[in-house]
Amino acid sequence: MKLSSILTLLAVVATASADDYTKCYQLDDIALPNGVPPEVGGLTFSSDGWLYVCLRRSDVFRAKPGEDPKAFDWKLFASGFHNGCGIYSPEPGKILVTQMSDLTSATDTDGDGVADQYRIVADDWGLSGNYHETNTFCPDGKGGYFLAIGTASHNGSVFEHTKGEYSVFGRRGRNFSSVKNRGWILHLDKNGVITPWASGFRMANGIYTDPDGETWSGDNQGDWKPVTPFYHIEKGNFYGHPSSLVWDKNWPKDKDPLLTYRNDLDAYNKHRTEAAVLVPYTVCRSASEPIMIPRNGSFGAHYAGQYILPDNNGTRLCRIMVEKVDGVYQGMVTYLQNGGGLRSGNNRVAFSPDGKSLYVGQTVRGWGAPAEGLQRITYKGGTPFDISTIHITPDGFRLTFTGDIPDLSANSFQVSSATYQPTWVYGGVAQNKQKHSVNKLAKTDEHTVAISITDFVPEKVYEIKLPDLKAADGSLLNNNIFHYTVHKIPGASKRSGLPF
Amino acid sequence: MKNPAHALFLLFALPISAGEPITYDNLPLGSESKPLLLSTYMPDPGLDEAYFAHHGKSAKSPKYNPGTGKDIPGEYDPIKGLPASLGVSFGPALSYAFDTVECRIAYAWQGGFLDMYPYWGDPVRGSRQSYDYVPQLVGILFHKANPMSEIFVDGKRLTDLDHPKFVGYNLENGTPAFLFSRGGHEFKLKVTPNTKTPLSFSFTLSSPDKIAITYDTPNGDRTTNTLTRTVTGTALGNFQGFPRDMKIKEASVANGRKLFDGLGCSACHSVDGSLGHGPSLAGLYGSKRPIEGTQELVHADEAYILESIKNPGAKTAKGFPPNYMPPYILKDLEYQSLVLYIKSVAKGQ
Repeated sequence: MKLSSILTLLAVVATASADDYTKCYQLDDIALPNGVPPEVGGLTFSSDGWLYVCLRRSDVFRAKPGEDPKAFDWKLFASGFHNGCGIYSPEPGKILVTQMSDLTSATDTDGDGVADQYRIVADDWGLSGNYHETNTFCPDGKGGYFLAIGTASHNGSVFEHTKGEYSVFGRRGRNFSSVKNRGWILHLDKNGVITPWASGFRMANGIYTDPDGETWSGDNQGDWKPVTPFYHIEKGNFYGHPSSLVWDKNWPKDKDPLLTYRNDLDAYNKHRTEAAVLVPYTVCRSASEPIMIPRNGSFGAHYAGQYILPDNNGTRLCRIMVEKVDGVYQGMVTYLQNGGGLRSGNNRVAFSPDGKSLYVGQTVRGWGAPAEGLQRITYKGGTPFDISTIHITPDGFRLTFTGDIPDLSANSFQVSSATYQPTWVYGGVAQNKQKHSVNKLAKTDEHTVAISITDFVPEKVYEIKLPDLKAADGSLLNNNIFHYTVHKIPGASKRSGLPF
Repeated sequence: MKNPAHALFLLFALPISAGEPITYDNLPLGSESKPLLLSTYMPDPGLDEAYFAHHGKSAKSPKYNPGTGKDIPGEYDPIKGLPASLGVSFGPALSYAFDTVECRIAYAWQGGFLDMYPYWGDPVRGSRQSYDYVPQLVGILFHKANPMSEIFVDGKRLTDLDHPKFVGYNLENGTPAFLFSRGGHEFKLKVTPNTKTPLSFSFTLSSPDKIAITYDTPNGDRTTNTLTRTVTGTALGNFQGFPRDMKIKEASVANGRKLFDGLGCSACHSVDGSLGHGPSLAGLYGSKRPIEGTQELVHADEAYILESIKNPGAKTAKGFPPNYMPPYILKDLEYQSLVLYIKSVAKGQ
């Protein structure tokens, strides 16, 4: 080993708690074929190592990724899809794509590298002619799939003649569900049987089943979605956007769900299931596809097992940690990456087979200034100075740093809380705002500190800021703003009674 | 290319099943050897109400004010369109819409495909047309489906067989063959251009079942289970895509070039002498042109060029099929700019 290498190694060890994030994670722009609109609707790796990229105007390209981000050898594999916003490869030479009207498979049956057989796999939903009705999906881990069926927008029309039945009540409001199963998550089992799974989505633009078989989705902040939610998806639940209820067999046919819940928020709050984690608008404006950071540490042991929630309307990827308290998921959100060359329009994500690189596909076409393309974030080693986890305690939180605990006092923290009541209004304001003090601070191990909070009650979102925190070597904390959604306080039976 | 054999070799060296990628060009076009298929919203060029037997029927809806969360005076009107159709382009020779809800050829046209501009938006700004985003036809519409199909299956009209269900399609050397079931039978439908007769297409409808498939008559032979037929139509309408205001303030070569690219002329007419769906414009102006149906050469002057844009069917250039180009209705300054550009191309400017 050369002396310079040894010195570098020593340097890494010496500053293990304070590596610069950009040294740990390298961002590359991946070039897509020249002249092709790089609007990435879907992204997936097949078991034989191809990276498939579904572009929204029609085409699916594939390449075997190499080091050089500008030298991927892209081949057109399939084409003709209508706004394909979800892709998965169940076996070599075969892909599934969710387009506007259906889930279609495309198979290369003769081995020439181009799909020649297209089959409808599922289409148990309607298509109104509205431009906004995109769909996405994920494998359920059991040979089937979860499909997230998007709603229509009042910024567009419906056609005189729709695919499938039309609902007059479903057409009402801002984002609407005028045709079957819009605003639903459907389950397609391995035998092809499709079941309506959960309702109440505005635009679950991204769905994910983790290695434990738990299914997660975001939704798009807007009407009935005051902030960006991160939902744990379970069968039979209603997640809060009323329009989709017109397709619920238990909802009375003569009742307008929008009007009903606009006039009766109490009944609405009883019916709906809350998000596991609420992400304030300032942190994420438009959630897209969640994914778990590999547990084996390939993308950094300090974030292993946490979720990434990309922002389709900001140059950032959120990082979410969940824990179960009294049987309910709740947890913390901060950034994995905020800026640093990342584009906006973050829409789809996929880890490379070695788990070291995160591919991020971007598109915002039709929703703002174009931010389209494909980027790659590769973990190069090292540990950024960050707070890796925040766990709840009976009287506050336990914060674990990625390295040694820096100098801290109660004044290092700025803690506040708020609630967010969904209504028909687009977006929402924080209610029941309160400032809290840190009245106790204790080191529980060499990386962890526990804080207790004044007036600590459940059913609120707590913001924890550490504005000027520095590591021993003077480097700034990679993230200094964290939000923890408290549904339950361990060991406490009290409820705040606040609308949440 | 000087050596035609070389050109032929190149043509066949290309993988037949791999089409061209979609680009920012809002006027994509397939070809006879590489048809283009797009699943997309498609226009409804006035199909009969009864045609939509298996579609849902929408309705006017109260206008909504998202600021107050309340309905306001006025109503949203539904717009025309096919929600789940597949557009297929063989270049100027033939385009058609296969409707996956009705499992039928909804309509067919010649001389262009779809103008995706209202849907895909401006390549730079990226925005669709707010409430008018359905892609628009380019070309000459010559066939619209009748509510009652002319095809009979075992004596029953195809449209009287219940439960049309789209299954998918195969690309057979790049040409789509659609699979669907109806009335308990499976069918395969393959459509191809018929270059022998203007404003026509050919199709083959077959079934693995032992059924008689006939056209215009309920009686037929059960052993064939295949129907091949040419359908010839008449010009039902000319379409030139989404009306764009190119903001032409003066007649100039530069504006002519802008129009030439913007209207999609360049998809068929080269300016460097290379072969295309239509005659190249290199050396066109001022030359003597051979015309179909006459021995007399025609002088390609300004009048000829203008006529060829306004009424392309009046004189068809020799070696090219009729009806491959729709008439273009433009403003005077736009016509003048195109003529100036075509003149400049002829001179090699």
